[in-house]
Formats: sequence, structure tokens, C-alpha cells
Amino acid sequence: MALENTDIAARKGRVPMVAQRIILISVLLTIWELGSSLTEGEFWVSRPLLIVERLITMIQSGELLRHLTATLVEAGSGLLLAGLVGIPLGIALERFPRVAKLVEPIIMGLYGLPRVALAPLFILWVGIGLASKVLMSFSMVIFVFLMNVSEGVRSIDKDMLDLMSTMRASRSFVTRRVVLPAIVPWILTAIRIGVGLALIGAVVAELIGSNQGLGWFIEKSAGRLDTTGVFTGLIVLMAVAMLANFMIVSAERRLLRWRGNSR
Amino acid sequence: MSVQIPAASPGEMAVPSAAAADSIALHGVDIAYEREGQEPLLVVENCSLSVGREEFVAIVGPSGCGKSTVLRAISGLLRPTRGKVLIHGNEVVGHPAGVGFMFQRDTLLPWCSVEENIAIGLELSGNPQKDPQATIRDLVQLLGLNGFEKSYPSALSGGMRQRVSLGRLLAYHPDVMLMDEPFGALDSLTKAVLGRELLRIWEAERRSIVFVTHDIEEAVYLADRVVVFSPRPGRIVAQHRIDIPRPREARAIRSDPRFTHICEQIWDDLKLPTH
Repeated sequence: MALENTDIAARKGRVPMVAQRIILISVLLTIWELGSSLTEGEFWVSRPLLIVERLITMIQSGELLRHLTATLVEAGSGLLLAGLVGIPLGIALERFPRVAKLVEPIIMGLYGLPRVALAPLFILWVGIGLASKVLMSFSMVIFVFLMNVSEGVRSIDKDMLDLMSTMRASRSFVTRRVVLPAIVPWILTAIRIGVGLALIGAVVAELIGSNQGLGWFIEKSAGRLDTTGVFTGLIVLMAVAMLANFMIVSAERRLLRWRGNSR
Repeated sequence: MSVQIPAASPGEMAVPSAAAADSIALHGVDIAYEREGQEPLLVVENCSLSVGREEFVAIVGPSGCGKSTVLRAISGLLRPTRGKVLIHGNEVVGHPAGVGFMFQRDTLLPWCSVEENIAIGLELSGNPQKDPQATIRDLVQLLGLNGFEKSYPSALSGGMRQRVSLGRLLAYHPDVMLMDEPFGALDSLTKAVLGRELLRIWEAERRSIVFVTHDIEEAVYLADRVVVFSPRPGRIVAQHRIDIPRPREARAIRSDPRFTHICEQIWDDLKLPTH
């Protein structure tokens, strides 16, 4: 989307969207910086320059990499696992509508449960290591996959499936050539939503019991009244989410070329 | 020049023809749709029809008269409530081999290019091809899709998409082609062009076609025989043999007195109160 906007803007002789965004962010950062130093609010909201300084020292000491890797591994594994379980399960639920009807209340009940409340239980079950964080991320994301994939399968053109059966296509042929390609956009959307949720899951689990990770780092900094540390952690999390989103958007553009411009 | 077959006893009504040469035969077929909390809805009643091996049959009738439902029963997409459907003399079980379908809406795979969509018909036909690429190239050529081989359906017009659908159908190489208002969603010009091309293709390689339409002129122009359905529940009210010689010329035929006469008769058949 950003690219197309840029093209149009360039043709109309306007400042490209990317530049506009950079300007907006710079303005916001300047206001933050000046506002904080003029009102001596540094203790409460820190300052961009302090955060940059902290980032540099953390990169140099390797501390950032350690926490970042921990959180990324937790959230990434949770997301991957949720996809591996959720995609086949979502397809299966649509294939066996009676089973789907049977288990629907249970799924909706679990979905409605605030999964953050499950964190203590997960820690009790699998300890405070990696597993409890992965499990937490997984429990946040699995429903997104399940529902998106089910909806995707449901939205497949009935005539298209009928046509395949008149040509006596096997079930595996239909799955490979019709169902899976049809749900690719739905899976990409699920991943896009899931990235944020997986990060939430990992960070929440870290807050409750851990010795590393960005969530743990934020919690530790807050305990020491180190606002700059808290904001550094938050900024890194935000950057991760933005980068992931950017990657998914470019994957979408490549994988969904067949949609053309008519979307 | 049209032979009107009397509709007195619809149960036995079948055009006289050698049974062995028929590729499709329906005997006293009723089709009802189950409805939740209501009586089943009878859409086709006592339908008997046979289609010869190289015959082009068109079915016309008001919308909702069950003409598409008949096609679905022939292809095995649904079971008749009563009666029998035979393909090459065998009762339809599952989805019969050698029967190809074409819908009004294009049912192309949007993530496959024109070539790939046509290739699917080839792949599912089960006939191993010496050179599948050459077969696809020939079909692309035949249907005037040159230059669009790599395009996705989203980049094509409605008419082009139906050309691709027809290409996929031909690649599947069925002996029986069931066409459910295939050109019904197209503008009249595109419709005329595609109708002419369908005839050209069929005349080069004859096979059974059952072509459902609500366009009387289209039916008379294309078909060897036009079957007229009543409003729901659909019953066959008349059949007309179209003896206008082939190859037919789309423009000239419209001023042919036989053409106009049959069209008028079918109009009358349709207007008849049938209950």
C-alpha cells in the first residue's frame, strides 16, 4: 500500500508518503524531547536522546540482543506452533461440520477466557522456562488461525468446488489446488494479527516469571524506577512489531499478485 | 420445419431415437430440494429426455424452472428424488466420467494463470498427453487467448474468462458437455461471438451438449433440438427439432423464416399456462 501511495504522490508532485511519515515521527520525537527537558518530566517519560544512548550501550554490551532473542524465540515459536496446529484444525473443522458444531461452544468459551489468567497455570505445568512463554503465545494466537482459516475455507466458491467434483478431482487435489491457495490471504491476515498477540503472550509470561526477555527487562527497569529502561524496552518491542508487519505486507504483495489491482 | 412433439403423456415422452446411441437418458426424473421445517420443494417433475451422442440440445424455460437442476442431476452433483439418470446406458453413480460442466459464473482458479487454469482440465482428464504444453497452446490459439497465457483471471474481461472456462472444459475432453447459461452474464455482442465459436468448435468435433439458457434465439441458433420447460415445478412442455442446416450463420439465420417461426412457437410454449 505504501508503495502505491508513493507512486501516486510522486506523479502528483507531492512529498512521498515515506518522507511524510519520517517527518511526522521526527516532529513527535522533537516535541517529546523538548517537552520532557523543558518541564523536567524526564523521570516520568524519559527523553528520546536518553533512550538512544541506552540503546547504544545495550547493543554494545550484548544485553539487547539477549533480551530481544529471548522474546523473539518465545513469540516466534508460539506463532509457528499456533499456525501448525490452527491451519489443519481450521480446515478440519470446515470439513466435518458436525464435529465443528459439537465443539464450537468449547472453542468459543476458551476464546472468551482472558488467557493472561492462564499464565500462572502454564508456569505451574511447564515451569518458568521457554515452554511457558511459548505456550502463552500459542494460546493467544491459536484462535486467530482457527477462525481465519475456517472462515477462509467457508468462503471458497461453492461452484468452484462443484466444478472440481464434476471433473472427478480427488480430495487431495482439491485441498492442494483449491483450498490451500484460497486460504493463503486468510493465513497472512492471521499472521499479521497473530504477531502482535504472540508478542503480548511472550511479554506477559515474562512479566510473571522469567530472567530474560524484553518483558522481563521492562519489568525490571520499572522496579528500579528506570523510566528510560522501560521506554527502551517498549521502543524495541514496537520496532519488532512494525518490522514484522512490514515483512508480512511484502510477502502479501508477492503471494497475492493474482488478485491484481481490483481489491 | 420444426417437429412439435406432443406433450400429452409426459411420462413416456422421449424423442424417438436408438437408445444405444444416446449418451444421456433421463427416465421420469423428479427432483425435490429438502427444506428445513417445510415440505420438500419440487423443482423438476417427471422429466424424461434423451440426448444423442453428437446432439446439441438446448433447454429453455423461465428462471427457477429447474433447468439447471437437471444439469446437476446429469453430472451427479445431486441425486434425483425419483426416476433414473443414465450416461452411456449406465445409471449415474457418483460423478460420471467424461462429463464436463460449465457454469454461468466463471469458476476459474483466481490464483492460476490462463494457461494453468486450462492445464487443470488436462490434468484431471486423466489422458496422458505426449506434449501437454502443445495441447494448451492449441487451445489458447483456438479460443483466441493469445498473449494472455500468463494473465490471471482478475485481469480479464467476463468474455475472456468464459473463453478460459471453455478452454478448461475442452482440455478435460468430455463426451458430454453440460453448459449452464455459460454466456448468460455477458453482453449480447460477446455472447454472440462466443456462441459462434462454440458452434465452430462443436462442428469440428461433435459430442453431446446440453445447453441451458433463457435466451430463445440463442437456443434456436445453437441447438439441434430445443426442450422447453414450464415454470416450477419444471416439466417438459414441448420439444422442437431445429432443422436449419449447418453451418449456421449467426447474422443470416435471424432473418430465416424457419428461425423466426420456431422462436415464435417457443414463445407460445412458454406463455402457455401449464397448470
